[in-house]
Amino acid sequence: MMLLPVLAGLGAFFIYPFVYLIGLSFSKSTLANTFQKWVGWDNFDWMFTGTNFTSSIATTVIFAITVSIVQLILGLLIAYLLYTSVKNGRVLRALILLPLMTPPVMVGIAWKLLLSPTGWINSLLSQAGLIEQPISILGDQRFAFPSIMLADTWQWTPFIVILSYAALQSLPEDVFEAAALDGAHARTTFFKLTLPMLAPALLSILLIRMIMAFKTFDLVFVLTQGGPGGQTDVSTYTIWRTALQEFDLGLAGAQTLLFAIVISLVTLPIVFLNNKAEARL
Amino acid sequence: MRTTIQQPNSPQNGETFQFKPELLTLSRTWKPKAEEGRLRKMIFVWIALAVIVIFFMLPIAYLFSTSFKSPVDVVDGSFFPNAVEAENWPRAFAQVPLWSFMRNSILAAAFSVFVTLGVAVMATYAMLKLEVGKSFLPDMILASYVAPPIIALIPMFVLMQKLGLLNSIAGMVLIYGLMNVPVAFWLMRSFVLQVPKALDEAAWLDGASYFKTFFRVTLPLLYPAMIATGLICFILSFNELLFAQAMTFDSDSRTLPVGISLFQGERRVNFGQMAAASSAGIIPVYFIALFCQKWLIGGLTQGGVK
Repeated sequence: MMLLPVLAGLGAFFIYPFVYLIGLSFSKSTLANTFQKWVGWDNFDWMFTGTNFTSSIATTVIFAITVSIVQLILGLLIAYLLYTSVKNGRVLRALILLPLMTPPVMVGIAWKLLLSPTGWINSLLSQAGLIEQPISILGDQRFAFPSIMLADTWQWTPFIVILSYAALQSLPEDVFEAAALDGAHARTTFFKLTLPMLAPALLSILLIRMIMAFKTFDLVFVLTQGGPGGQTDVSTYTIWRTALQEFDLGLAGAQTLLFAIVISLVTLPIVFLNNKAEARL
Repeated sequence: MRTTIQQPNSPQNGETFQFKPELLTLSRTWKPKAEEGRLRKMIFVWIALAVIVIFFMLPIAYLFSTSFKSPVDVVDGSFFPNAVEAENWPRAFAQVPLWSFMRNSILAAAFSVFVTLGVAVMATYAMLKLEVGKSFLPDMILASYVAPPIIALIPMFVLMQKLGLLNSIAGMVLIYGLMNVPVAFWLMRSFVLQVPKALDEAAWLDGASYFKTFFRVTLPLLYPAMIATGLICFILSFNELLFAQAMTFDSDSRTLPVGISLFQGERRVNFGQMAAASSAGIIPVYFIALFCQKWLIGGLTQGGVK
């Protein structure tokens, strides 16, 4: 009885979409006219031969793995600094919370203004004598993808700071007192004591962050629209465009299925291993 | 008998200082040989903290600063406006229906929180405490959380079309309400597990039904967790773009992120007005972030680490 709503929710948001997408991917469907006829594997053939979708998936995987690792390292360092060196970090943590709360669309706009040819970063670079002409950072093949990663890192590192800080607080204090009494160096304590004890928590944090990074859409939508030259074409954005700009639901269905399979292959084994490890503790 | 569930705040609060004799010995043997080293360390800490704060405040500060720039100042590239011009704000509100976007966002997010909590709290309790569905259902919910929302976009679009809920706030409430259930389950999990089982069993022995036990005994203990979860789900819905972008078509149902992303996509937009509109859209969430910090951090950490 208590479970009826959640079963309905799972049905509506998880099972029904999958069944529907499998149906779509084997049919010729447009947004206005679904299931015109069954076409077998045509959509899948076209996805592999006629579109750049596999490179879009590669972009997404590279993006998710890079940002989650970079943010984990940065976030852990900041949390460690706050934990060891700041007595009452409440104000600091409140400030650090703000990026996380900012709607991603507004994050995109703020970075778009900063990175635009007339923006502050360009004027900094030219004052430093690094560039002569203002450059379009978001329109440049070399800088567009790192810029998306930068904006994402700005928004999500605070998430890792907060979680790592809590993990640090949950560590037993007596071990550290013992280490201090034994005269252990701060660096030794961090690498030999803190890091190993934090490892399980850090693994969960990394996983959560990676799963979220696979879903990135808003920043690309606002900052680059997948460009320049498909450099920032993450899968969610590609699928969105196929479905709602080109109206080809059959192809979008096939793309979504492939994307879902890749994400599951990358994350699910680690998720369940992580759960098993947690259960044993 | 009174049982309280731990409030989601940092363990430091309320912890009394414990005198530790070994610290005294330490301080006696402490030779200030490293006086210079300590000063250097303090300077390093302060610089590091300053860099961190500046990095995390910079884009927001630039956005607010740009919202007070005249069109001439915008292309100037300096951080602060040469002359403060407040005109952008009323102009932005005149150019786009920001008030209705904001109303739609708040309505959709607030009502979706009730849907999410209504579905998730009971289900979490049933799954974890009554062990209905064993580990299969929790695993399914976990899997549905891992799945990217784009999977649900097209099928939900078609479903909403059939239900006549496209382009309506009610539709967005339903979508967000269901979409956040896995997140809520994840956040509520450790709180529900903290409620001692003996409490439920005592109530059952006294002849209370499962439902009565849940509503009278367990639920009151979960209020703090529900507030934290509700706030996080509110912000998730308020900030969401993908579904809102696909399913709302006019200012009667469009949410803030959609309205502002379309505004910035227009060719002849004025950067100052765009910055003003974005700043206005940020204010509600920052209000929540600053005043409900304790709940937010508590909720995030409970769900994330344990």
